Amino acid sequence: MDFELTDEQELVRSTVREFAEAELAPVAGEIDRDHRFPEEVLPKMAGMNLMGMPYPEEYGGAGTDYVSYMIALEEVSRGCATTGVIMTAHTTLATFPIYKFGSQAQKDKYLSDMASGRRLGAFALTEPAAGTDAAAGTCTAIRKDNSYVLNGSKIFISNAPFAEIYIVFAKTDPDAQGTRGMSAFIVERDTPGFSVGEAEHKLGIRGSSTPPLYFTNCQVPADALLGQEGQGFKIAMQTLDGGRIGIGAQALGIAQAALDAAVAYAKERVQFGKPIASLQAIQWMIADMATSIDAARLLVYRAASNIDHGFPYSTEGAMAKLFASETATRVADRAIQIHGGYGYTESYPVERHYRDAKITELYEGTSEVQRMVIARAALR
Amino acid sequence: MKIVVAYKWTSDPEEATVGADGVVNWSRARPGISTYDPVAIEVARGLAAATSAELIGVTVGAKGVGTPLAAKAALSRGLDRAVIVEDDSLKGAGQAELAAVVAAVVRRIGDVDLVITGDSSVDVAAKMVPTVLAGELGWPAVAEVTDVTGQPGALRVGRAVPGGAQVLEISGPAVLATSADATTPHVPGMKDLLAAGKKPVEHVDLAALDVPASSAVMTITGRARPARKERKHQLLDTSDPAEAAAELVKALREVGAL
Amino acid sequence: MSVNAWIVVGDQPAIGNLITVARSLGGDGTIAAVVAGPRAVAETVAASGVDRVVWCGTPDGSPAEASAPAVAEAVAADPPRVVLGGRNPGDRVLLGAAAAALHAAVLTGARSVTVGADTVTVVNAVYGDISDETVEISGPVALLLDGGSVPAASGAGVPIEEVTATPYGVKVLETIPSEFEEVDLNAAQRVIGVGRGLKAKEDLSLIEALAAALKAEIACSRPVAEGLNWMGKDRYIGSSGARISPQLYLAVGISGQLQHMVGVTGAETIVAINSDPNAAVFAQTDYGLVGDLYELVAEITSVLK
Repeated sequence: MDFELTDEQELVRSTVREFAEAELAPVAGEIDRDHRFPEEVLPKMAGMNLMGMPYPEEYGGAGTDYVSYMIALEEVSRGCATTGVIMTAHTTLATFPIYKFGSQAQKDKYLSDMASGRRLGAFALTEPAAGTDAAAGTCTAIRKDNSYVLNGSKIFISNAPFAEIYIVFAKTDPDAQGTRGMSAFIVERDTPGFSVGEAEHKLGIRGSSTPPLYFTNCQVPADALLGQEGQGFKIAMQTLDGGRIGIGAQALGIAQAALDAAVAYAKERVQFGKPIASLQAIQWMIADMATSIDAARLLVYRAASNIDHGFPYSTEGAMAKLFASETATRVADRAIQIHGGYGYTESYPVERHYRDAKITELYEGTSEVQRMVIARAALR
Repeated sequence: MKIVVAYKWTSDPEEATVGADGVVNWSRARPGISTYDPVAIEVARGLAAATSAELIGVTVGAKGVGTPLAAKAALSRGLDRAVIVEDDSLKGAGQAELAAVVAAVVRRIGDVDLVITGDSSVDVAAKMVPTVLAGELGWPAVAEVTDVTGQPGALRVGRAVPGGAQVLEISGPAVLATSADATTPHVPGMKDLLAAGKKPVEHVDLAALDVPASSAVMTITGRARPARKERKHQLLDTSDPAEAAAELVKALREVGAL
Repeated sequence: MSVNAWIVVGDQPAIGNLITVARSLGGDGTIAAVVAGPRAVAETVAASGVDRVVWCGTPDGSPAEASAPAVAEAVAADPPRVVLGGRNPGDRVLLGAAAAALHAAVLTGARSVTVGADTVTVVNAVYGDISDETVEISGPVALLLDGGSVPAASGAGVPIEEVTATPYGVKVLETIPSEFEEVDLNAAQRVIGVGRGLKAKEDLSLIEALAAALKAEIACSRPVAEGLNWMGKDRYIGSSGARISPQLYLAVGISGQLQHMVGVTGAETIVAINSDPNAAVFAQTDYGLVGDLYELVAEITSVLK
């Protein structure tokens, strides 16, 4: 069992870290304070080939393995958690469905623009009454001649309205039982009848734009259907299987940033005549934080490696996301504790890491969903 | 046209620790491409693209400077190929010795029109390797170079001088040391990193090179930690900036700094 | 008489420190200088107290670097124990040419030099001055040092020996004066260093107000001087710039990296203002202020007025 990263993977880490420290970390605090979507960062991310890493070069991607993609996502998130979610929501949630389920015509039309980062994507599944119970969605897509008419609303859609391309899930057969009857569509931003609502103010990842979407008799051509009618739920779930590993990587980046800050602070903060890093209480906290992060990293990389080797990754991805997200919130909490009162102020970045960490336990499948997936596998 | 970029794979002293005995501990420092060398590679890349020249990276040093990772890190920045000399006898080698080995490599590559180097290395910061290298090759050297255009035989070189800048014309091969701000190097993208693994790397034995012998043998006979002024490390309370300012000025007046 | 030390000189004669070091080597040998610059420089050097001056002439429209072959030839014809050169770009090139011709060892951080019967011993500051190495060299040594100031005339001076050698094909096509006034940071008692914490060039006016109130000179760390072209390169402080020892050094928006701080370790009192409480600079200060430099600099300026 080889736990070493390849040279390419090591270079991905050091290069993306260099990029993140130069371009992302300097604006992370500001975009958080101002709730501002960092539009100016996207062309730079695209220039680094960071917006479609795992997709083949012939489709505009970088053709890297999934482990490299996770390493890059972790380093981006360590610099700025908001940029991390923009990256994964675009690369995995929005682009994977087209890559895996799109017709040749759809791939030709969208994939290159998306994998190269020229056009930004978004994934629209969640509805006000359908989160964990995704199949309970009430958005409809009724066939009418050579088009579908979409009606309904979506909520918490990352990257809207900056995204141009939306993967929208709606019921083509609203009366069908359970998870059947849902279909996936590719909807472009300026389609009449499709509008984006007010920005949502959140606890963390404040630079990430997550408004609601409204579809009012929004007509899309028949060839906007992605995959088959009734295949939508499967497309969503399979996409989220990979997406959750990405959230694991984002959580890793946040946790690592929090640990790095705590270590730096502990070495410098002098109380009772010595740095607090010399106190056992602090040392043990740091030991626990470092161990959890390392364990989380191994889970994330293992799940990613499974994708690279063609092994199943659904349960492994759920474990990675569950453990990494809970690690991130715990590590960020401890990081503030180590900072004492100063950690509660905006002068130090740890309060932002604390607020950013929480979302990783919630989106792309709450920890409860992950536990359902893992239990199902464990109880087989 | 053949352009050689001489780069260094080394660690940043910022990450090293020094014992009370003056011995430098590099164990926690991660080696990488010397901080200002990517500027040189970027300038060289621009000229190579404009003249359809081959861009060859050269590095010399102790074992470790030419690992696949180190070579790929350099190649990913835009080199076409790399030529590397790794030999532990070069551990602790001085600037003159390194320059002599680089000169031997340049001669071995043959028909090199131009050698470009960085301003200085992040660890030694001597600024002398390019100038001694030029002396060894019998070529002119120019430092603080900000831009290079033109063709071999008629290179136009912009460089900083005290009090301003100059544009020079150089009619033969030369060694140019770029200034640290000559350009902002691009960070290699993911595609560049993957492509680096496919570029040729040649390892040359030091013994196979014709390196002129040095007339001077250097032996380190002692080390010491330089005496540093003790600093107070006083952090002023800045919750009220006006008060902090008053407190600072008062303290400075008391110690006679104002 | 054998040459103890050669001093290579480019197009300006600020070599006072080199002469001092050469003299300190003792012994019976002579101190010779080779000049590759205008005749006026050769004349200043000839009157400075050295024992011999060789002048390479001024090949038409060429910079000092073009005369490197003549310099190397002169030095190699009478090989010394030590060859010395100053840190500016042209002189470095000449020193490198001489060092190559002699196959000499090169050291660039000499704190002291002693010439013995068989060896030269140098205490050499290394790796950003974090350690001092005592090095014994068994052959010729080339030392890159701070040139110092222009030496005063002392005595009648020595004759100037003119030599020629084919210069390199380097011509000056254009000279563009700097938009910035030159400054001598070493003469300043108080210096304010500016770093990346300053967001825009216009914000320099805030620093200028403080500098006026403090009667201080303004300097900067590398990214500002070189990367952003806000001030002349002679204001850059660090391992490849100026090293100063003022009464007071105030670091504003500077992170405190080794490469910069090595330039101010000799300051009597160091103060730093930075918004990052974990900035390395705070480990190297007498007084540190964590906060918004825009506020703090303005407050300090008003207290001083």
